[in-house]
Amino acid sequence: MPEVKTGQFTTASAAAMLDPQLRRALDRVGVGFDVARRNAIEEVTSEAWEEWREEARNIKIHTLDHLDYYLELLHDNVTAAGGQVHFAADAAEANAIVGHLVQTRGVKVATKSKSMVSEELELNPVLESLGVDVYETDLGEYIIQLAGETPSHLVAPALHKSKEDVAELFTDKLGVPYDEDIEVMAATARVTLRDKFMEADLGISGANFVVAETGTLVIVTNEGNGRLCTSAPRIHIGITGMEKVIPSMQDLAIFLRLLPRSATGQRISSYVSMITGPRREDDEDGPEEFHLVLVDNGRSRMLRDPKLREALYCIRCGACLNICPVYQRVGGHSYGWVYPGPIGAVVSPMLTGLKEAKALPQASSLCGACREACPVKINIPRMLLELRHRTAEGENPEEKASSRSERFMAGAYGWLMSDPGRMAFASGIGRIAQQIMPGMPKRDGWIRKAPLPLLSKWTQARDLPPLPPKSFRQIWRDELGSDEAKEVDSGGH
Amino acid sequence: MAATDPGNIPGMDKTDFLRSVREALGRSPANSGRALPPARPYHRLEEMLPQLEEWAAEMETRLRENRPQLLDRFTDMAGRGGWNVHRVSGVESAIGCVDGLVGDIGATQVVRSGQSVFDEVPVDTGLEWRGIEITTIVRGEGSEREQLREIIRQADVGLTGTDYALAETGSLVILPRRGLSRLVSLVPPVHIALVRPEEVLESLHDLFLLRRLEYYRRGGEMGSYLNFITGPSRTADIEMTIVQGVHGPRSVHLVLIE
Repeated sequence: MPEVKTGQFTTASAAAMLDPQLRRALDRVGVGFDVARRNAIEEVTSEAWEEWREEARNIKIHTLDHLDYYLELLHDNVTAAGGQVHFAADAAEANAIVGHLVQTRGVKVATKSKSMVSEELELNPVLESLGVDVYETDLGEYIIQLAGETPSHLVAPALHKSKEDVAELFTDKLGVPYDEDIEVMAATARVTLRDKFMEADLGISGANFVVAETGTLVIVTNEGNGRLCTSAPRIHIGITGMEKVIPSMQDLAIFLRLLPRSATGQRISSYVSMITGPRREDDEDGPEEFHLVLVDNGRSRMLRDPKLREALYCIRCGACLNICPVYQRVGGHSYGWVYPGPIGAVVSPMLTGLKEAKALPQASSLCGACREACPVKINIPRMLLELRHRTAEGENPEEKASSRSERFMAGAYGWLMSDPGRMAFASGIGRIAQQIMPGMPKRDGWIRKAPLPLLSKWTQARDLPPLPPKSFRQIWRDELGSDEAKEVDSGGH
Repeated sequence: MAATDPGNIPGMDKTDFLRSVREALGRSPANSGRALPPARPYHRLEEMLPQLEEWAAEMETRLRENRPQLLDRFTDMAGRGGWNVHRVSGVESAIGCVDGLVGDIGATQVVRSGQSVFDEVPVDTGLEWRGIEITTIVRGEGSEREQLREIIRQADVGLTGTDYALAETGSLVILPRRGLSRLVSLVPPVHIALVRPEEVLESLHDLFLLRRLEYYRRGGEMGSYLNFITGPSRTADIEMTIVQGVHGPRSVHLVLIE
């Protein structure tokens, strides 16, 4: 698995917010993807959209509840179509399976279409250690592979790169003249990778869906690299998380309506490819071997957890990233692991450990935009709260990460805020304190660093708004309120 | 055909893997044999042949009765999806249209699939008369696969028919098989597709109904590949600027023969 840097969220996000290039890139996400998504929904009407979301959610609930049955059905139907199914408990096992296939089949060159699961497995270094030349072929993935980086968005992995960055990278790594015309750069990728597609022995793809009823792997793409990876080489390996199974081909209709609209605002992507086993005797072309690797890698832990199981409904559209006020400011890399944004703040702690990732569930204002945007109605804010709760009060010592002083502060805050008299008293003290305490650096009227040891810890990653000269309650009492309100306010409840 | 696997392939045994899933679901651990179907079986898996056939018959009637509107909608959506749509009436105009498109591109080499639509609409003679080299991609005996692949790679235009067309999305749906390479509609920089009115379906649901029907009729054979094609190859991976023709065709034409 790739290095887990979830523990560095606070420092990484602080640095990201000061990066002007990242700011411009993230602005494009909101304007580009999210506006396109809203327009696409408007076109089909929000009534129809709500029906589709509900239906998709029900399909996911049903499938996950009977995952054992559908996985076995999928296995049987892939096998009947002439393919082979492999089961991997974790990343090491998945990589060993692919490694075994590569070695026994004498694979020299592999082309890959975009697969988040393969990022999760960190498959490429394993293949390289076996002497295989691996080429990412999705333009965004190709760019970050050349740059030695990781994806910063589920759908647009090289989002953080400017066209000047890419032009420099291509000059540096491919030896082409510097040209920041995006058309020219895309043409360079076309020409360079065309040879690799034709040379490759192995094509590796992910899967957006796998259909149990027919044993069919479905990939939704725009560039055509997915079609080439699954058509030109003599071996095709599809790698996917076990939660991607859906029962029947008829269920695909609803997901093909939801996924492209949610991801990029398209009615449908340029290509949807459905692969059932290897090429048949009569076919003109296509791989001789088809392998499907079904990966657990922590997913059964989520399945086991009734409060977090719905994170497995995710279809990786990225809509929750594009709308999230936090993602839009800190970008994908701040999240410190493969899956960024609101859904990443649930999935990464579950797959890599909550203790290290305890900052991720905090990186949300709980505004609920992610839940609204989710095509399968995943209640992300509820799960973020659940993870916060486990961090603070969890019974599992592996998850519990809050310090004694944090818990003391939370308890004290709760005690002060749960009674009007105590609250008025505390804010009165605070008002005086902020006047007389020295050493409270301010910027734009916000307190950057509180002086008391316990409060200063809180302001390490947050700014504190100063208390206004008069509280709302005072204003209400003195200027706005009716006599009754005054009575209620002074007389208790 | 497949390579042999001496010894054990790494990975978890199917039974063990499914048992761990079952445990995660909180099922009785004693049940370690075959997974039990859902207590209330999923209705869509139960819809077997007779039901599917009934629905397909209803669908055929609906499509026949609404053909003109359906073709208009398909044309509209295909255009919005990025196809250059050419509506022509009759075989002669179809041939003329293909001829004109290939001429405009300045193509010298064209590959086409061996589909039945080209028996009805014989485009070869006209193109050859223009001096264009046209190759039909149908595999002979022996090792001609590599050779055909190279011809496809050199071609300026790929010419195909279609199996279905979808009004809902403006997509063509192509099922590669004998006579229909996966690469003809993908590798050349221009793709031209011929569409007959009876191939146009209304929705994704129509398509998947027909695919399921075929699957059960053929005793569980789906065919190896199915492709939706909607417009040109696209990417927006650099600064979210859309560029056409990154790995697939940059321009795509659809000739609807009425």
